[in-house]
Amino acid sequence: MKMVTKVAYANMKYHKSKNILTGIAIFLTTLLLFLVPAVGFDSVELQFAVTNKLYPTWQALYRNVDTDTVNRLRAHHDMETYGLRSDVGKIANEEAEISMYYMDETGMELYRIELTEGHVPKEKSEIMVSKGMLDSLGIHAGLGDTVRFPVQKYVGNQLDYIQETEFQICGFLPDSEAALENQTYMALISREYMEEIIPGEEIRYRFLFRVSADERTEIDKLKDQIKGIAGKFGISEAEIGFNDDYLYANYTDPAQLPIICLIMLVIIVAGVITIYSIYYISMTQRIQEFGRIKAMGATRKQVRQIVLREGFCVALIALPLGLAVSTVLLKPLLLYFVNMAGKSAFRQGYEEILRNGECNLYPWWLYLLTCVVALVTVYLSLLHPMQKAAGISEVEAMRYQEKQSGSRERKGYQDLTVGRLAKTNLYGDRKKSVLTILTMSITGMFVMVVATALSCASPSESADSDLYGQYELSLDTESGNQEHPEKEWDRVIANNPLTAELKAQIERLDGVERVETFTNVMVESDLQYQGEIAANQVLGLPESCFEELKKGIVEGKASWSDLLEGDKVIVNKALLYWCPEVKVGDQIQIRIEEEGQMVSRDLEVIAIGDYRFGLTGFCDLIFSKEAADSLLRQDCTGSFQVLAEKKYDAKLEKELQELAASSGLVAMQTWKEKYDFWKNSMNITQIVCIAFLCILSMICIMNLINTMIHSVHIRKKELGMMQAIGMTDAQMAKMLRMEGLFYTSGTLLLTIGAGSILGYPVFLWMKAQHLYSVTHYHYPTEAAVIVVVVMVAVQLLLTTALARSVKKESLIDRIRFSE
Amino acid sequence: MSKIVEVQDLVKYYGSGENLVKAVDHTSLCIESGKFTAIVGRSGSGKSTLLHMIGGLDRPDSGRVLIDGKDIFGLKSDRLAQFRRKKIGFVFQDFNLIPSLNVWENIILPMGLDGRKVPVEEVEEKMEYLGLLGKRKAMPAMLSGGQKQRVAIARALVMNPAIICADEPTGNLDSQSELEVVDLMKKCVRDYGQTLVMITHDEGIAQMADCVILIEDGKVVSQS
Ligand SMILES: Nc1ncnc2c1ncn2[C@@H]1O[C@H](COP(=O)(O)OP(=O)(O)O)[C@@H](O)[C@H]1O
Ligand SMILES: [Mg+2]
Repeated sequence: MKMVTKVAYANMKYHKSKNILTGIAIFLTTLLLFLVPAVGFDSVELQFAVTNKLYPTWQALYRNVDTDTVNRLRAHHDMETYGLRSDVGKIANEEAEISMYYMDETGMELYRIELTEGHVPKEKSEIMVSKGMLDSLGIHAGLGDTVRFPVQKYVGNQLDYIQETEFQICGFLPDSEAALENQTYMALISREYMEEIIPGEEIRYRFLFRVSADERTEIDKLKDQIKGIAGKFGISEAEIGFNDDYLYANYTDPAQLPIICLIMLVIIVAGVITIYSIYYISMTQRIQEFGRIKAMGATRKQVRQIVLREGFCVALIALPLGLAVSTVLLKPLLLYFVNMAGKSAFRQGYEEILRNGECNLYPWWLYLLTCVVALVTVYLSLLHPMQKAAGISEVEAMRYQEKQSGSRERKGYQDLTVGRLAKTNLYGDRKKSVLTILTMSITGMFVMVVATALSCASPSESADSDLYGQYELSLDTESGNQEHPEKEWDRVIANNPLTAELKAQIERLDGVERVETFTNVMVESDLQYQGEIAANQVLGLPESCFEELKKGIVEGKASWSDLLEGDKVIVNKALLYWCPEVKVGDQIQIRIEEEGQMVSRDLEVIAIGDYRFGLTGFCDLIFSKEAADSLLRQDCTGSFQVLAEKKYDAKLEKELQELAASSGLVAMQTWKEKYDFWKNSMNITQIVCIAFLCILSMICIMNLINTMIHSVHIRKKELGMMQAIGMTDAQMAKMLRMEGLFYTSGTLLLTIGAGSILGYPVFLWMKAQHLYSVTHYHYPTEAAVIVVVVMVAVQLLLTTALARSVKKESLIDRIRFSE
Repeated sequence: MSKIVEVQDLVKYYGSGENLVKAVDHTSLCIESGKFTAIVGRSGSGKSTLLHMIGGLDRPDSGRVLIDGKDIFGLKSDRLAQFRRKKIGFVFQDFNLIPSLNVWENIILPMGLDGRKVPVEEVEEKMEYLGLLGKRKAMPAMLSGGQKQRVAIARALVMNPAIICADEPTGNLDSQSELEVVDLMKKCVRDYGQTLVMITHDEGIAQMADCVILIEDGKVVSQS
């Protein structure tokens, strides 16, 4: 067996240029194999580290728990840690929202509340405040000072009358940036004070807790467990709040794995194709060598071992090098991505953790995984060459001294030119030529397809698709939020802030072209998905939107008069994701609450349409505004869509913002926001994709280099021969260039041709999936030009370098010692 | 008789120091036009090196090779290549055919490189002469050793070169084909008035030559 290794080692040295290329291919493959999962894994890990650093650490809370239940919950064996918080009341203030809580010490720990000064309130009159809160009240006071606050305690869900109360400041809380910006503060008081102002049986706590779990626990199971406990204590699901940030940061989310696996698969395929073809291409030449080894008595198994070991010898150098380089690259890369992500509160935490090395970016298993996957890649690509080498018969290898190409007659040319020489050579080795072109094209087509996807993703178009006009003022409603019952839809429309007067005000603003009014009605329908109502909004659109409505119809027919009737609707195609059974001609029953009574109506589905988000939002049932308005007596105006002269105008935005703010529960969205959002998220994707494609292309170019070097290397003697009978250096350079041009043009033809064609269905798919809100097809001209230029340049450089290297060796040496 | 080749004080050394090999060591000789000259000598004595320099394949360390009175190493490499394909035909021991070209293409390759129109009839005549007419479209891999060598000879002859340099052209052949090949080449010299310079270590072949040059350790020992 030792002999086998020796031969393999000698082979490796002998076929140096090929093995250097294989080495580079393995190196690049390793780089990708490590960096892709590492960046994926680390950014998730970092996010978690930041979350753990900044966010509360309870898993879930139960709301409205009375003292008795708190005591029983405490005794539950699954509870690992628990804390209490109770909302006692508010400190009245015009500008700021100041909540008054009682929290026990574990509660404060779970909320990550740390004092900047003093101690927690113990005495009845003690209170803990923040500087920002005092500022908002216009009070200057320090530790130990006595202050008076206008306190409103809760009676049930309602706030009581203001009572001026005297407190002594016992400690200070820090103000977060977010708190200062939103003017939301809190004050903590003692248990004694709470018990004094609220009768014991009326005190309701938030029970914050963690149950015992480890990082392998799946989030869904954990949630089920928490719901289970709630059930036992008679706490309804609506009273459970989950701390998802914390949960996702600390426990397993099985969803991220498949994506990383898919990318790794692509890398493996590219790696296998390249390494395989590098080996395959030199195989024909080496058949003789292996035949000789076999003739000297090597078994099939030994020959296979020789090929395998030669490959692994190269991997032994390339793999650690790849790991080392990627280890060095990882941290700067992560920092770069973080910076790309723009500014956020998260980012600082990110950078801090990265710089201080608070998070293990280099888990050992990632190295192991990369090694295993890279070696498997090498092994896979060696399988066929191994088989082939082992299968050669000794006689075969000996007999065909002069390469095996063309053992049949060939008509050939009457006259020869340099061009024809190149052609016959390519034809004689057509299997190799085709293989090279195919393998390079596969990578090339992949590049083109991804480039198409990237070029179709235009932030401006995505923003257009996401918003009807340039600004949207809509009702700021929220359902099921115990904290904000006033945001329930039926409460908001009772006094709809989107008034005709507001509309007129908007229309008067400079730069506004027109304002469209959309009507939204909350309903219940008989369409269900996993026990929940699927379609719960009806959208009424003005006639000016009818053209777009009609254009988007994918099935059925609808006229404007149909939509005016009020019992015929277009179904948004998005609904079919939840309820695939919906068809044109179906009846859908909706129920609307009218003065406490449920009124039901039947709607006929006359068409199904695929629309941009900007038109429909989350609404599934669409008809005319007139029909929607007649559903309820209240004013159901859901949004004003503002079409402006310019996509973005800071002055107009500010004016609209002011109007929205002064109208109460009105939320505003702008085109600019959407644009920035898309631009940001596309940017990152783009850079990641481009980096990925670059490395893939480099792997692919290895292939071209190999084919060219090899074709010159094995023909050294042949080329020398041709020169001996009178081929000039210029003629040889021309011949090599023509051969290279053939590979390049073949590859380019396939890459650009097939790549462009394949890109289109990818665009259609993205559009259908509303991925990146893609709407228009853009041909990736830039990418195509870059691919062409790079390929041609590489090929020209390569042939020039090759012709020169051939010249360096004297003619006679090439003829005499060609092996 | 006119001298077609004149070698003047030719030197070619390989390696240096202890490994210095004096492949051709201050050699001078003349080769007469229209004759068959045989170069003989022990293996490693420098015969091939000398022949390569006579044919302009290799450049000497010093000394000159005059062909028709012209110093061939005074030419630039591309000009030398052009000179070679017009004036000199090579036949090697191991044939050196181009495997991707068929027999016809192999033969006309020097013409193609010269950018010349192929005089089909003339080439066919030579092929017939060499008994290759039926093998026009065959690929080298299908031919026997003797046939391959005949293709190589046809290739050397096709341009009607003034000089044919043959380096042990029969070394890889059995004695039957060997005689055939040498006979053919001699016939060419006679019929077309060409000059043949052939390296051989076969006594019989050397005896057929008009002139025999014996080389030893890179030096001409005798010329007769
Ligand atoms: N490229 C080379 N490098 C080193 N030594 C060489 C080279 N070419 C020839 N030689 C040496 O020069 C000497 C003469 O070689 P050669 O002319 O081939 O001899 P012959 O043809 O008479 O057998 C030999 O000793 C050979 O080893
Ligand atoms: Mg020799």
